Amino acid sequence: MPAPAHFLRSHVRLPGRTIGLAVLAAAICAAPVLAVAWIALSGETGDYLQHLAGTRLPTYLATSAIVALIAAGGAGLIGTGLGWLIARTEFVGRRTLAWVLILPLAVPAYVAAYAWLDLSHAGGPLQAMTGGLFPTIRGSWGAGLMFALVLYPYVFLLARDTFAGQSADAYHAARTLGAGPLTAFWRTSLPMARPAIAAGLALVVMESLADYGTVSHLGAPTLSIGLIRAWSGAGSLVDAARLSLVLVVIAIFVFGLERAQRRRARSVNAAGRHKPAPRLQLGAGHGLLALLACLTPLALGMVVPLGRLVWLALHTDTAPGLAAASLHSLTLALITAVIAAALGLATAYALRSRTAIATLAARAAGLGYAVPGAVAAVGVIALLSGTQALLDPAWRALTGEVFPILLTATGGALVFAYLSRFAAAAISPAETALARVTPSLDGAARTLGASRGRRVRTVHWPLIAAGVTSAGLLVFVEVLKELPATMILRPFNYDTLAIIAHNFASDERLGEAALPSLLIPLVALLPMIFVARYLSRQAR
Amino acid sequence: MKSVKFLALAASAALAACSQPATEDGDTARVVNVYSARHYSSDAAIYAAFTEQTGIEVNLVAASGDQLIERVRADGERSPADVIITVDAARLHRAEQAGLFAASDFSDLDIDIPTNLIDPEGYWVSFAKRSRVIAYSNDRVQPGEIATYEDLADPRWEGRICVRESGNAYNQSLLASLVAHLGEEDAQAWAQGIVDNMAREPQGGDRTQINGIAAGECDVAILNHYYYAMMVNSDDPAAQAAAAAVTLFFPNQETTGAHVNVSGAGIAVNAPHPEEARTLIEFFFSDDAQRAFAEMTNEIPVRTDVSWDNPTLAAMLPFNEDSLNVSELGDNNETAQRIFDRVGWQ
Repeated sequence: MPAPAHFLRSHVRLPGRTIGLAVLAAAICAAPVLAVAWIALSGETGDYLQHLAGTRLPTYLATSAIVALIAAGGAGLIGTGLGWLIARTEFVGRRTLAWVLILPLAVPAYVAAYAWLDLSHAGGPLQAMTGGLFPTIRGSWGAGLMFALVLYPYVFLLARDTFAGQSADAYHAARTLGAGPLTAFWRTSLPMARPAIAAGLALVVMESLADYGTVSHLGAPTLSIGLIRAWSGAGSLVDAARLSLVLVVIAIFVFGLERAQRRRARSVNAAGRHKPAPRLQLGAGHGLLALLACLTPLALGMVVPLGRLVWLALHTDTAPGLAAASLHSLTLALITAVIAAALGLATAYALRSRTAIATLAARAAGLGYAVPGAVAAVGVIALLSGTQALLDPAWRALTGEVFPILLTATGGALVFAYLSRFAAAAISPAETALARVTPSLDGAARTLGASRGRRVRTVHWPLIAAGVTSAGLLVFVEVLKELPATMILRPFNYDTLAIIAHNFASDERLGEAALPSLLIPLVALLPMIFVARYLSRQAR
Repeated sequence: MKSVKFLALAASAALAACSQPATEDGDTARVVNVYSARHYSSDAAIYAAFTEQTGIEVNLVAASGDQLIERVRADGERSPADVIITVDAARLHRAEQAGLFAASDFSDLDIDIPTNLIDPEGYWVSFAKRSRVIAYSNDRVQPGEIATYEDLADPRWEGRICVRESGNAYNQSLLASLVAHLGEEDAQAWAQGIVDNMAREPQGGDRTQINGIAAGECDVAILNHYYYAMMVNSDDPAAQAAAAAVTLFFPNQETTGAHVNVSGAGIAVNAPHPEEARTLIEFFFSDDAQRAFAEMTNEIPVRTDVSWDNPTLAAMLPFNEDSLNVSELGDNNETAQRIFDRVGWQ
């Protein structure tokens, strides 16, 4: 039996349909972006971009860079630090915190921004309490801070799972060679976790750059503000599309960096379930410090802003229609999450084939994550309208009328836009999870004669279930929070929680915005707690 | 009459139950599809009253004006939109330029609407007004110290002005009106003067500017009149206190009149239900709807012969309005935005 050659050729021989699914995922994600690119490149050339380059463009770019750096720095620090504490140490409250620390992800950054600005504005409660010393949370640093506080779970989730899955060997070897715990962490654990951290950071950066609600509320003119303004200003969708291509280029760059990390770290990323590292027992003093370190971001990202909203909600009449809006939000999020998780997993599997087409598909899928929701929505509208127009002649021949408005007037367009924006978020976690299925593991199962289906069921699934579920969860929460695409594409009489919250908040009626704003994290919390606890059990 | 309506309802329900899902093209139930940039929750009450009086159901999509325009434009011939409503004349103008409105003759509405609030070519009509006004601190500014928008650019207001960002449509339309009155060059000098006089980087909405005065961050602010009215009428003691710290006035009373913007609507060019669309727009001019605008959103009804109960708003009126045709706000919108970019108004 020519085992070695067979072994080397591929980890899992992929059925064609896995690659097919990956290509489908890529098409869904990339098509709206490509439609936007087409709008950008085929449109007439005016002088607006020249005007912009001479006036606001430098500000837009600088603000984007500052916001992204603060967001990534903050989320990286919090996410990695807490991920390591939870995965590798033992202190009072750790087990609960293992899943509670994920929850700020359920708080939309714009909701945190509503609450913090309300608390800290001139003449607001925090300034009154501190005699005017508390700074007003606003501008680039304020927006960056909001992103760091609610997006750090991206890094935390991936870092924690990687730290937990790391073999203790390297760390102990370092300790034996005389390195202190910190040095050992710095020299062994951290480098091994770098791909996971990079994957989390890439999501944080892209989400900060594509955000509109938070930066517009806090007055941080990033590029995404610039392109919405180009659209409304000169009335030029073409110029807005051109500006959004800049974001696409940045995304290609960011995800490229992330992939480079992954490649470099591939050889050292030991996985599997062998020899789980023993936790470092923290004494009372250190345990208290660890607890504080965990509670601080929780308080700032979740407890304080949501507490403020609860207080506001209690002092305001309830807006009508919240039950229906909750149901709409849940339905959209659930449908999108399930499809996205499936597509993400398929892409991750396809990537194992190491074929050029799979790699291309995965990268193309990442494009959707780069563009702001409003731009993705425009791409979806352009595509679906184009499709409907293509169908017109045939339909007219049959019925004498234009093709009915089936595509752009239903929730399907919305799910399409969501998938385009967020399905990429499901690929990275699935891929990270699948990385735990090492070639040797697969080979062993294969040598023992397990069929492909059986290998996937009994060897792969237990190792990747957590990752795939969290992939779906990430998308679920993203959809609940999504605002601009929802506004543009929703069917008649179809409010979601995010829309109701935004409408009141943009009218500065924060009291009425409070309850729908609160309901977003609350609706997200129940499934999140369930999944977070499940994930933590898996990681234990 | 009632029983006929009931029979019709019952028939349509039965039809819907045993045939395909009711489409908006069905003959049984009359509907009107509304794309609205108004996101005020009180509008629900106006639509409910409309449905009760006419039997026409209202389907609603609310988003920003530009988004709605893009959606209608892309859907083209098959767009379900009947009525397009925006809260800024420049957006109405843009929809018209994109060819989204059907030419409609609103002159036979039998209502006395000032001609400057109707599109000269008859594509859209305004049903409620809002004015962009100036508020000043009761403590730090004397009445009469400031009279016009132009005064705000004077160096004596350096470091004393609060105003929101220039992406805001209301600021754009204010500057567009100044472009129309003063010409582009002087309008830019004015905008530069405001930027030089700002007490802080633009932030928040119009209420934030009043809060800024109340907190002592600035002495004067530019805002829409109804935000002040909302704060005065609010249940929130903090909002009431902030409003009580300022005085509001309508600028340019001796010159061009205070800048006025509108809530307006037009009938979509491909409207599947043009009759119902017209019925709805007519309804916006009814006593009930005009009263609702005054009482619920503190807007100024275009009809002056309707009585309403809102002492805060009543105390502000009457005032001299800018008589510029509001369609010029659309003509000058792009110029205004470029000026904002050039002078660095965030």
